[in-house]
Amino acid sequence: MIVDILLIPAVVVILGAFLLPLLPEKTRSSAFLVFPLIALAMLWQLPDEYTLTIPFGSYELVPVYVDSLSKIFGTIFAMIAVIGGIYAFHIKDLGQQTSALIYGGGALGVTLAGDYFTLYIFWELMAVSSTYLIWARRTEETDVVGMRYLLVHIFGGGVLLSGILWHVSSTGSILIESLPNVYSVSSVLILLGVSINSAIPPLHAWLADAYPKATVTGAVFMSAFTTKSAVYVLIRVFPGWDILIWFGVAMALYGVVYAVLANDIRQILAYHIISQVGYMVAGVGIGTEMALNGTTAHAFSHILYKSLLFMGAGAVLYSTGKSKLTELGGFANKMKAVVFLYMIGAFSISGFPLFNGFISKSMVISAAGDAHFEWVTLLLLLASVGTFLHTGLKLPYFTWFGESKSKITVTPVPINMLIAMGIGAFFCTLFGVFPGLLYQFLPYPVDYEPYTVYHLVETIQILVFTFIGFWILRKKLEGDAKIALDTDWFYRKPAPAVRLIFVKGVDRAFGIADEIILSITGFLTEKFKNPMLWLNPFTDRRNKSDGYSPAMDVVMSFIMLTFIVISILYFL
Amino acid sequence: MKTWHWIALGILTVISLVLEFTMLAGYDSHWWNAIPGFYIIWGFLSCVVIIYVSKWLGKLFIFRSEQYYDR
Repeated sequence: MIVDILLIPAVVVILGAFLLPLLPEKTRSSAFLVFPLIALAMLWQLPDEYTLTIPFGSYELVPVYVDSLSKIFGTIFAMIAVIGGIYAFHIKDLGQQTSALIYGGGALGVTLAGDYFTLYIFWELMAVSSTYLIWARRTEETDVVGMRYLLVHIFGGGVLLSGILWHVSSTGSILIESLPNVYSVSSVLILLGVSINSAIPPLHAWLADAYPKATVTGAVFMSAFTTKSAVYVLIRVFPGWDILIWFGVAMALYGVVYAVLANDIRQILAYHIISQVGYMVAGVGIGTEMALNGTTAHAFSHILYKSLLFMGAGAVLYSTGKSKLTELGGFANKMKAVVFLYMIGAFSISGFPLFNGFISKSMVISAAGDAHFEWVTLLLLLASVGTFLHTGLKLPYFTWFGESKSKITVTPVPINMLIAMGIGAFFCTLFGVFPGLLYQFLPYPVDYEPYTVYHLVETIQILVFTFIGFWILRKKLEGDAKIALDTDWFYRKPAPAVRLIFVKGVDRAFGIADEIILSITGFLTEKFKNPMLWLNPFTDRRNKSDGYSPAMDVVMSFIMLTFIVISILYFL
Repeated sequence: MKTWHWIALGILTVISLVLEFTMLAGYDSHWWNAIPGFYIIWGFLSCVVIIYVSKWLGKLFIFRSEQYYDR
């Protein structure tokens, strides 16, 4: 059984986190890459429908279940762990390295889990390990942000676990299967728990709050794992839940609106994760084979280009120490390679032909069109205008090209960061040019051609005129040195009141109760030291409790009295 | 933006319109396919609407000073 557990790809990666501290510091960055690669190789060795079961109490756990869906998600998670590892190759912080490995292992574990208990364990591992990627910046602000992030995810995990327990007790099965589209307590709780990780508004605020604050390298991992593993669970458990269509569309637009308002470059990207995951959530809601294929393909593409974008924004933060649009601008010449590679990511996310966003986003939108959700189609197209507008135009224009807004010193970026970006850009282009490479591994047979005249005309017209709109109105898009309120207001602003009621208030109540009990104890101790003083008001004799006690007198006389009374009654 | 950039964009638009009116003339899977150059209108309008609506919402109640949560 131990051998079985060691053969779980996720466990290999997590074991790596335990081995890393034992290795010499110089070899750690290279060793970091080895574990996800081993996991990737193991995953591809496993045949489809491979199932590993381990008895656990009266249940059979299924820590590994492989089919085409889990394989494609597992593959991209392992790939991005490697790419992120290369990007972080120069980092000497053991804490970040181990937590990133556990985080990646967690994502892999969630993907391969065949039962809810396994899923839950890896789910929580992801939450805890990713928090360190925020804390590792070691500033007062990130301490607080990390704690907020952790609390939200602990809450989400709790909701998920409640749903799982309810589900298990009502059906008796712990296996992960798609749930019928019925709103029972258990399914709603599971959906809510997963929604928090997929950042579906209004449960999304943790993402835009935390990701811009994570370390330069940590944000790359975070952009890939948490939301996409949740999307995977949505595909598995909630395909065809039509409520998700509209939540998905709302998400896609919500992220776009906030990306206009955000000033921090990594926050703009974070809001665009929400927007992009919206396409996937809508795809899950549509639930046709093509939509689920599209969702899977889009998650795959998204992980590649979004991590590339985060790597580009991270490089800006690394080399200038700044990340706000209002402080950047005018240094494109000093980091040409980063700008070039970032733009490949930007073209991909915007759905330019020949890049991987085009082959996956269009699939989700076409699936909506084919299922005759006309407004869903149009609104998703509108959201994709917003994507190009912010990630492809506003962010690079005001970060690198527009006029310089503060004194910027550009320190060179380590070569490994550029290599990682290069690999990401390579894959973005590869899958864009040869969509068949990705399509053949999708969960359902693909009957879809992205490069049709219709799609090309549609894309060219939309992109060209988005650009013209941007150019005319670009002054409007300049960063505002402000923050945008989001739903985290509901737990951040009342925090002092919550602390007053639930911490200080409870504390004070306990304090008062404590005092009352102490004074009662004092009073009683005093009184019972010598009860005769108040039991017998006619005497003021000082009695010793261990010597002769007048209480004996009372007892003896009472017995005597009873004896006399009974005797008299008897003889009468 | 140099002049040739605008020329390139113009050429792209013309190509897309030519394709639309020749190869896609009979294409009709959604109601908006009947509107000529629909995606031009939709792309441009979306862009304008996103910018104005977001900024308006921002001014309405979303924007706060950067120290908002520290107070």
